Amino acid sequence: MITQFLLDTWLLWLLLGVGGLLWWGGRDSQYVNYVFNRYLLALATLVLVSGIVFSLMEVLPGDCAEKYIAYKNTQGETITEADIQAERVRMGLDKSLPERWGRWVTNLTLRGDLGFSCAKRQSVNLALGNRFWMSFMFCIAGLMFSYLIAVPFGILSAFTINKPWTDKNPQHSKAEQLAGTAVLSLQKVVDLLLRIISYLGLALPNFLLALTIILLYVFAGEPMPTGLFSDQWVNVPWFGPDGFETGKFYDFLGHIWLPIFVIGWSATALQLQTVRALVVDESNKLYVDAARARGVDGLTLWAGYPVRHSISPLFNSIGFDFQRVFNDLPIVAVVIGLTDSAALLIEALSMTNDQELAAAILFLVALVVISMNFMTDVVLAAIDPRVRKSVLGNG
Amino acid sequence: MTVGINLLEIRDLTIDFHTDEGLVRAVDNLSLSIRPAEVMGLVGESGSGKSVTAKTIMRLAPDNAVVQHLSQITLNHQGQDVNVLKLRGRDLRLVRGNAVSMIFQEPMASFAPAIRISDQIIQTMQIHLGYSKDQARRVGIELFDRVGIVDPAKRFDQYVFELSGGMRQRAMIAMALSTQPKLLIADEPTTALDVTIQAQVLDLMMELREQMGMAMLFITHDLGVVSKIADNVTVMQRGKAVEVGSAERVLFQPQHPYTRRLLDALPHLENLPEAPRHTPEPLLSVKNLSVSYPTSGKGRKTELFTAVKNISLDLPEGQIIGLVGESGSGKTSLGKAMLGAAPISSGGVQYHNTEKKVTFGVGKPVKRKHLARTAQLVFQDPYSSLNPRMTARDIIAEPLEAMRLTKSREETDQKVIEVAKRCHIEVEHLRRFPHAFSGGQRQRISIARALVCKPKFIVADESVAALDVSIQAEILNLLKELKEELGLTILFISHDLSVIANLCDWVCVMRHGELVEQGSVRQIFLNPQQAYTQKLISSIALLDAKESRSHRSPEWPCMAEQSVSVVSCERV
Amino acid sequence: MNALLARFGRKSKQTKNDESYYTAGQMALIKARFKRKTSGVVAAWILGTMVLMGFFAPFFSPVDPTIRGADAEYRRGAPQMIYFWDDNGFSLRPFSYTYKKVNAKIDLKALAGGGLDALDAFIASGALSSSSQNKFEIDKNNRRYVQFFVKGWDYSLIDLSVGSLDLDFRWDRHLFGVERGQIHLMGTDEDGKDVFSRTLHAVWVTISIAIVALIVKLFVSLFVGGVSGYFGGRVDTIMMSITEAVRVIPPIPIYLACAVALAHIDLTPVQRYFAIAVVIGALDFATLGRRLRTHILTERNQDYVLAAKLCGSSTRRIIWRHLIPSFTSYIIVDTLINFPYVILAETSLSFLGLGLTEPVNSLGVLLQKAQDPDIQQNMVWQFFPVLVFVFLIMAFVFVGDALRDAADPYSEKK
Repeated sequence: MITQFLLDTWLLWLLLGVGGLLWWGGRDSQYVNYVFNRYLLALATLVLVSGIVFSLMEVLPGDCAEKYIAYKNTQGETITEADIQAERVRMGLDKSLPERWGRWVTNLTLRGDLGFSCAKRQSVNLALGNRFWMSFMFCIAGLMFSYLIAVPFGILSAFTINKPWTDKNPQHSKAEQLAGTAVLSLQKVVDLLLRIISYLGLALPNFLLALTIILLYVFAGEPMPTGLFSDQWVNVPWFGPDGFETGKFYDFLGHIWLPIFVIGWSATALQLQTVRALVVDESNKLYVDAARARGVDGLTLWAGYPVRHSISPLFNSIGFDFQRVFNDLPIVAVVIGLTDSAALLIEALSMTNDQELAAAILFLVALVVISMNFMTDVVLAAIDPRVRKSVLGNG
Repeated sequence: MTVGINLLEIRDLTIDFHTDEGLVRAVDNLSLSIRPAEVMGLVGESGSGKSVTAKTIMRLAPDNAVVQHLSQITLNHQGQDVNVLKLRGRDLRLVRGNAVSMIFQEPMASFAPAIRISDQIIQTMQIHLGYSKDQARRVGIELFDRVGIVDPAKRFDQYVFELSGGMRQRAMIAMALSTQPKLLIADEPTTALDVTIQAQVLDLMMELREQMGMAMLFITHDLGVVSKIADNVTVMQRGKAVEVGSAERVLFQPQHPYTRRLLDALPHLENLPEAPRHTPEPLLSVKNLSVSYPTSGKGRKTELFTAVKNISLDLPEGQIIGLVGESGSGKTSLGKAMLGAAPISSGGVQYHNTEKKVTFGVGKPVKRKHLARTAQLVFQDPYSSLNPRMTARDIIAEPLEAMRLTKSREETDQKVIEVAKRCHIEVEHLRRFPHAFSGGQRQRISIARALVCKPKFIVADESVAALDVSIQAEILNLLKELKEELGLTILFISHDLSVIANLCDWVCVMRHGELVEQGSVRQIFLNPQQAYTQKLISSIALLDAKESRSHRSPEWPCMAEQSVSVVSCERV
Repeated sequence: MNALLARFGRKSKQTKNDESYYTAGQMALIKARFKRKTSGVVAAWILGTMVLMGFFAPFFSPVDPTIRGADAEYRRGAPQMIYFWDDNGFSLRPFSYTYKKVNAKIDLKALAGGGLDALDAFIASGALSSSSQNKFEIDKNNRRYVQFFVKGWDYSLIDLSVGSLDLDFRWDRHLFGVERGQIHLMGTDEDGKDVFSRTLHAVWVTISIAIVALIVKLFVSLFVGGVSGYFGGRVDTIMMSITEAVRVIPPIPIYLACAVALAHIDLTPVQRYFAIAVVIGALDFATLGRRLRTHILTERNQDYVLAAKLCGSSTRRIIWRHLIPSFTSYIIVDTLINFPYVILAETSLSFLGLGLTEPVNSLGVLLQKAQDPDIQQNMVWQFFPVLVFVFLIMAFVFVGDALRDAADPYSEKK
């Protein structure tokens, strides 16, 4: 019996256990104390979020009882208003909002049970399956794509920011000036291109970009790469009789570039501007000049000084970058025809009024974002001495 | 002194800047030379071009600086003359850390905050001397020891924010010396330091210079510091060198009026006023006053930080009282507490001889309207103490309008104009916004605002610290005028002893929240009783008294008086 | 002000001795700095023109964009170009041609008698394909001259009616039109509605939603940030936790949920429109609210606020005279910078079919049509709103950037 009880409530014990460990460690070490505080804050925020999400899903019309009765209706039974009301009482839907919310939260924290989807007539965990993982992977891939492009180009852009177009230094000979002008102009052109790209990235929303790409395919007369696999590879398993199916992998790559590119597009544009602004800010500080005065130059200077100090704020924003990317995912999923949880979300919200599923997906997203924020805070406080100092006082 | 080859020679250096307003000349035809192992003092105020010159020697001028064609900078390195301005690429390392090194005004800002000091110093040595990591580390710790950092091995591996102010400056000196440069450029290295630490750092630099036979280009605005350390002096004003010569000549037989003005800012210990016959009545009494701030202590507890510890004090009326202390002494907290702007944890403040009784403290809250008409504050930072979105007239009129002391706009305007004239602000300028005024003018506006409702007591919290030396003199004279014409009592808070010596009648010395000593200015400066006060007084950078007496030319005493009157006549 | 602006025009160099520089308040300084950036100024002109054209859309559109103005004769029609010159000679007055619909010829008799082969041939001839639906014969000899200030359909210029007070100013002149029939500069859609007119009207609808949303957002943010920043302590912690929680949730699903909820309440399209704008605005308070709160927290401790207190200023005076003006410029700049995002939010919603829907004219609605493969293949000119949309957003982004640069360095030159 006890084992059953413990199994039923494993998530709760896990959370409490971690909390307890942190509290114990926090009595002596200021750092662990800080981690403990963030942990509590994260949990509190999660609770608040669950409250908001739950109440918001209430605005979706139709509750579980109606859906159940409607289902019964399709089975051929007739229904009356009294039936619906009776069903409500049976399901406990007539209880007040806080009570129902409380029950949902307890289910969630005790077991990790996301609820029961009345529209789909199955548990939400089952309905979601691995789709949330899919969305998660998409977003992470999109984010990595955007970081891979934005960070180096942002730094390059920052490097050219205050340089003039031409070399008019009276100390250089005419030949040197010409060469200098050529180099400077090239840098400026690159910078201008990057800025235009970043503006376009902001102006062209993801779905429009997806549309444009599809249009281009139409003009080219090629079949559109919707979905994750083309028809011939959809049902082929990854590991066939000859081992790993490389054909399926290439097909996958051929399809996956579109969603990742579209998802990462506006994230890249935003990141470009952020990275550029951060690096420019840091490179104007005195310590960079001081390093130059010591003879540090070129790549060592840039990598070691402004860039290294800009990484912290960049790293810190990962959580909200993820949230922004996930925000755009539903529409992209609809346009491109993906079948991940974002598509499910749209379907749940706009078509089937599946409150439980929608609430669960939103909660999961919030969970990911909050966990990411927690982890970045903790990691930064551990490795970046400036953060450590400001957060822990003179520790 | 042997006439040898110059280590560094600057000829006709002209530097312009591309700004929004066009091409602005920062340095105009400057010529300068430094011989090996010689110290050149480069003196000037902000805008004089001294920092730009130093940066250009190391080829660190900002991108929008244009060094004009005829300029020449030559460095004599290992017997060869090197044209510094034509260096390119890796050769630049010669003037950046190799033969020439630099130390900056703000040691905190010149170390990378997130990289250990050891990594930065080792990197420097690896670049220039090719040492291995272990070798560099050993040399680095040795240097730390040499510059007087206690527990050098531990401090070597720390981050810059873990060191105290004086230690940071020493660490920076250690880093600059690690490559054994021939020329050390010091850009205002002691300006941001407390007086006692300043003296120590100066001594250290002199010592190192002797040991290493290094030349120095010492940039500062303080002629007292220059007198201690320099062999030759160049005085710069607005990009031009207005006076050049040996230190003795420039400091004791100054030719140019600008140099004389700068010399005037030094404390004239011969001219300290006599204490008045009978001490006037106290205007305000402070009894058992303590000021405490809550801070986050270790772990989860909040601790109280006591800035002012149980001070009792009487301030005589109609005098300028100086409140001296180093940073962290609690002087600002005490000043603010007298105005009811700091959290008082025990004791109280009482004003005498006022229309309405003004007294407050623990248990007795401040009656702001009464207090505002009795006492006012002039802040330290002229840039943040004026609301950038209000015109000068509105700023000055604020007390009148806030407390509805006047009946009509005309009356307010009249009072504003009256007080503006007294503070030497031109009436047409009242329409302007703060961004149109210089630092000194802004302080005048601050003072005018404090005066407009005719208080009896003004607290000037480091009010001239952010200003250039020559502007400081004007503001100080204004304060003296106000004391004489209006019978104002002024509490002047400062860490700069030379300013106090030139201005105050009565001095109080604070340390770590406690009152160490108080007395007339003559007593404190010429006959300090407490050990701490003695230490403070001895560390003031003064013109070397012995030298001044023996080298004094007949015109010197008269010149001192002359220059005082010259300054007080000038108005800007 | 004119003298001030003339002074700060790009050509002249501003000298420190300029009196107008000294007496320029904050807004004037920002304007002056803004004018120095060409990209910002050009973008501002483009933006201004577009907004103006959008506001006076009926004047600029020769055709009524609603179903009333639908051209039954010219459905799915390609854009009608305006020429000055053709084979028949040069004309000072611009003109267009007459278009006549060509119906696909279906030979029923041959079909009936031909069996499967005839059917195959018939299908292969493309007579049934959708692209044959929009074939029009251009009669080059039949010119229709463009006229200016034509009398056309009746519209409301400015409607200031309030309650029962009718202040509707109606007019019926349009900037241009043709002699016979209607001119469709950007073609028509499946119902015959003019794409050009619809787009112009859509611009204004979209912008007005954005304006409403931004005003709502401003008030909510001011409230949250102001209360939080001013009171500090416990109140601050609670409000910031709530803000953080709201910030974590991705906004678009929330808009979707609200939109669905609204769909079930009976609302007129205009009311729907306002409700959506209010929802978008009210949920977006997180970032601005937080910035305002931080700003107020720091400004409270600035010297000049303390100085005001010592001068005897009451709390209310400090708030009104000192704190609020300190962030006015920031608010204005932030609002302008956020225009694109709000517009994107509305278009995304309408794109999914959950915001505004047909027959309302908004850019989102028009963009949604671009999803239809029929339109993608056969009526490419219906992508014209896409172009306008991109231009509009880019213009906002450039103006916002330039404005941010102009407002940011409001730091004193030391």
